[in-house]
Amino acid sequence: MARPKKPRHPLHGLRIVVQLAFLALFLALLVMTALGTPVAARPWLAQLFLITDPLVLVGMALAGAFTAALLAGLVVVALSLLAPRAYCGWICPLGTTMDIVDKLLFRKRDRSANVGPRLRQVKYGLLVALLVLAVFRLGVVGLFDPVCIATRSYGVALYPIADHAVKAGLVAAEESGLRSAGRAYDWAARARLFIRDTDFKKGDTHVAYLWSFVFTALLAGIVLAQAYQKRFWCRNLCPLGALLGLLGSASPLRPRVSQKCIACGACRKRCKTGAFQPKDNDKPYASVVQECVFCYACERDFCPVDAIHIGAGSPTPVRPEPQVCPGRRAFLGAAAASVILGPALLLDQRTRQKDETNPMLRPPGALQPDAEFQAACIRCGACMRACPTNALHPSGVENGIGGLWTPTFVFNIGYCDYYCNVRKEDVESGRLDRPANLCGVVCPTGAIGKLTHPQKIARKIGTAVFDKSRCLPWARGEECLTCEEQCPLGEKAISHETEEVANLDWLKMPQPKRNRYEELDTKRRGGATLTADEKAELAALPPKRRKLGLPYVLRDRCTGCGTCENVCPVDGAGGIRVERLQTRDVK
Amino acid sequence: MSNPLKRRGFLKGAGAALVAAVALPGCSPGPEGGVKFRARPHPMAEPWKHRLGLAQGGDDPGRRVRVAIEKLCGAEGVRTFVKPGDGVVIKPNIGWAQVPEMGATVDPAVVSTLVQLCREAGAKTVKVFDNTVGTTSKCYEFSGIEKAAKAAGAEVFLCAPHRFLMLKFDDPRAKRVAEWPIYEDALTADVFINVACAKVHNHPQAKVTLCMKNLMGVQGGDRGKFHQDISQNLADLNVMIRPTLNILDATRVMIAGGPSGGRRDQIVAGRTLVCGTSAVTVDCWGADPKNLPWPKGHHDLAAVGCIALGAAAGLGVADPSKIEVSA
Repeated sequence: MARPKKPRHPLHGLRIVVQLAFLALFLALLVMTALGTPVAARPWLAQLFLITDPLVLVGMALAGAFTAALLAGLVVVALSLLAPRAYCGWICPLGTTMDIVDKLLFRKRDRSANVGPRLRQVKYGLLVALLVLAVFRLGVVGLFDPVCIATRSYGVALYPIADHAVKAGLVAAEESGLRSAGRAYDWAARARLFIRDTDFKKGDTHVAYLWSFVFTALLAGIVLAQAYQKRFWCRNLCPLGALLGLLGSASPLRPRVSQKCIACGACRKRCKTGAFQPKDNDKPYASVVQECVFCYACERDFCPVDAIHIGAGSPTPVRPEPQVCPGRRAFLGAAAASVILGPALLLDQRTRQKDETNPMLRPPGALQPDAEFQAACIRCGACMRACPTNALHPSGVENGIGGLWTPTFVFNIGYCDYYCNVRKEDVESGRLDRPANLCGVVCPTGAIGKLTHPQKIARKIGTAVFDKSRCLPWARGEECLTCEEQCPLGEKAISHETEEVANLDWLKMPQPKRNRYEELDTKRRGGATLTADEKAELAALPPKRRKLGLPYVLRDRCTGCGTCENVCPVDGAGGIRVERLQTRDVK
Repeated sequence: MSNPLKRRGFLKGAGAALVAAVALPGCSPGPEGGVKFRARPHPMAEPWKHRLGLAQGGDDPGRRVRVAIEKLCGAEGVRTFVKPGDGVVIKPNIGWAQVPEMGATVDPAVVSTLVQLCREAGAKTVKVFDNTVGTTSKCYEFSGIEKAAKAAGAEVFLCAPHRFLMLKFDDPRAKRVAEWPIYEDALTADVFINVACAKVHNHPQAKVTLCMKNLMGVQGGDRGKFHQDISQNLADLNVMIRPTLNILDATRVMIAGGPSGGRRDQIVAGRTLVCGTSAVTVDCWGADPKNLPWPKGHHDLAAVGCIALGAAAGLGVADPSKIEVSA
């Protein structure tokens, strides 16, 4: 097979540049919109890759959660009508990630035996299942959408991990004597290049998210599955790829194999998405337009006889393309399975939410009731990435198995920042009509609505309640009131009354001393004058009662922002916690 | 065949390095000679323990800084305690994300004027920071202090989590706190200036938040835990951290909703700035309802627990009749 190396197809080189440029753009937008950077002026920038995702568009339209911004997905639809999966080959950040890892790890790996086309039908089944589930108003499409996967993996897992690793590395280097590492740390911190982990109230915290290990592992699984097949995910599982392929089925632009084909099988073995296959094990080969990602490697790089041409028109294929989409039966099978799965998931959602110990702390502006929110949320993690205090995290299954990875507040880690996306000049001018909640600003589907500052602080997330068996003054008779101090409302939702309570030091006293105290105290109260010695003796004994500030929540004022829970000095579950919104609380 | 082995070796090495990088950072060894607060006291700190410089009236908080420091230190002003080449650290109250008019933070003009004065006195560096209560970058922005201080030539930075050093509270006068993490730059400064603003505080033991409490901004750790027996804790902190100069900026006085604030109707004009070498003495003057427009019946001087405890530790004066004010 030795043959002179031909120059690359010009579009091959261009494709690589475009791919890297889009990945760089994706990552840059992610960093720019991470953790509290004001993006309100151009929210579409933060949402760019998600609102142009046709699978999100279709999923949301079917779930009744359509918003006009999602029409941007029509750009990619138009592209796909012309060049079916060019998006996958040129733009998709997950696809580019796979290509980079493939180049780094598997360049010389022989995978030519793993060319069977059967697995690739799974993606169509998945697409149908997700769309049927969307009709049941379950936003699970985001669990499998590649742009959501990339946003989640990079934004909620890899970026914070990388940030932490860089910081930890610099700190370790400095501590082992490398002073320049310390200077580099300080410079980067002062230039605000790091995730701003000192923005949080509790001592030494760093940005981290629940589930981020799982997101990392899933991304690793996706890119490492390429050990078996290049672009394993794209070939076999990607529902967006399936959708784009189907959209472009009738496209005139496609790879065509001419009669020059000598059936050497090179294209079949080397095409990154397996878009070539023999018909009846006979020559010549044929291409499958629904699989081609328009990478432009085949024309010059693979084919020894120049039999492949990507384009419209000639040379005409000698054979009809092989059918790769599953037949009607398979489609119906996937749809039928989802018709059973959908109600089962809805019932699960309802049952779990009936359990009122589940706090269901959704971001301010989240659609209500929660079923609406779950229909519209694509679990992309953009809100978590944008939350300036690291308070939003992917939930587990507490809101329903179908609600996996929807955002929820963890107030032990962060809190809903009072001013969030409000700027100084807005407060000074009193013009508080800009969106104040960054989670709502970056949300691509409107699952979290945009709220102005007055709306945001009028909107309850939940209500703080004291756990009097844990709160320091209530439970242990100790001074505290940190919660009241830090309540950010102008009219604080926590207040205290100084009351007489049992004195724990008195309780520790042995009975004879208690008796003596009672004796002297009764005498004093009775109006008798104590001798100087008696006075001194009484003063040395701890009094039976002492004064202590006991805090109360004024629930009509409380917005459930969680600041109190976040700062509560009680270890473990706080002495004050935000609990689920009760119907009677709704303003 | 050698290639995959090389790669494997590389990956192993890289993995080990990553694990090491993540696992290693633990306690900082701290600066040489152990962790200590090193700022020089004011040369007249002891004899002037009872003295205050006061400036009142006018609409320029910056002018009040100049005047008050001159009233305290004489015409030499800041030069009496800032020497050429010094590293100066200013710790204003930037604790809350509120605009200056809300009175929750020190007026930016006070900070910028101080920075300017220190630079004029030949300070090599002037750093301004606070380990804020609210979201730090928001506090820096809203208070206007970051912008003003930078414009005046100061370095303004967010605290890095690993630069808090464990300070042993080994002075016998520190009775309750054994150790607490304190920010490195506060410990290593040549001159440390503590700038508080005047606010009511919800804590029944604290009542008001002034200079002594403002020092909490150099602390790391879980400061919520500092609020049990806060008076003694504050006295302990002030035993260990002895600013070269303490300033109370009462340009505005927060009379309700403290210490966070956020309502203009909770602010009254104070047009006052007072400074002294002792935080206790400054607080004793500032907490006195005779001197600042505290709400009627809110507190009497004796209710502010940390002042008497601080005076008992020999840090300053808790008896208003013993305070000498030059105005």
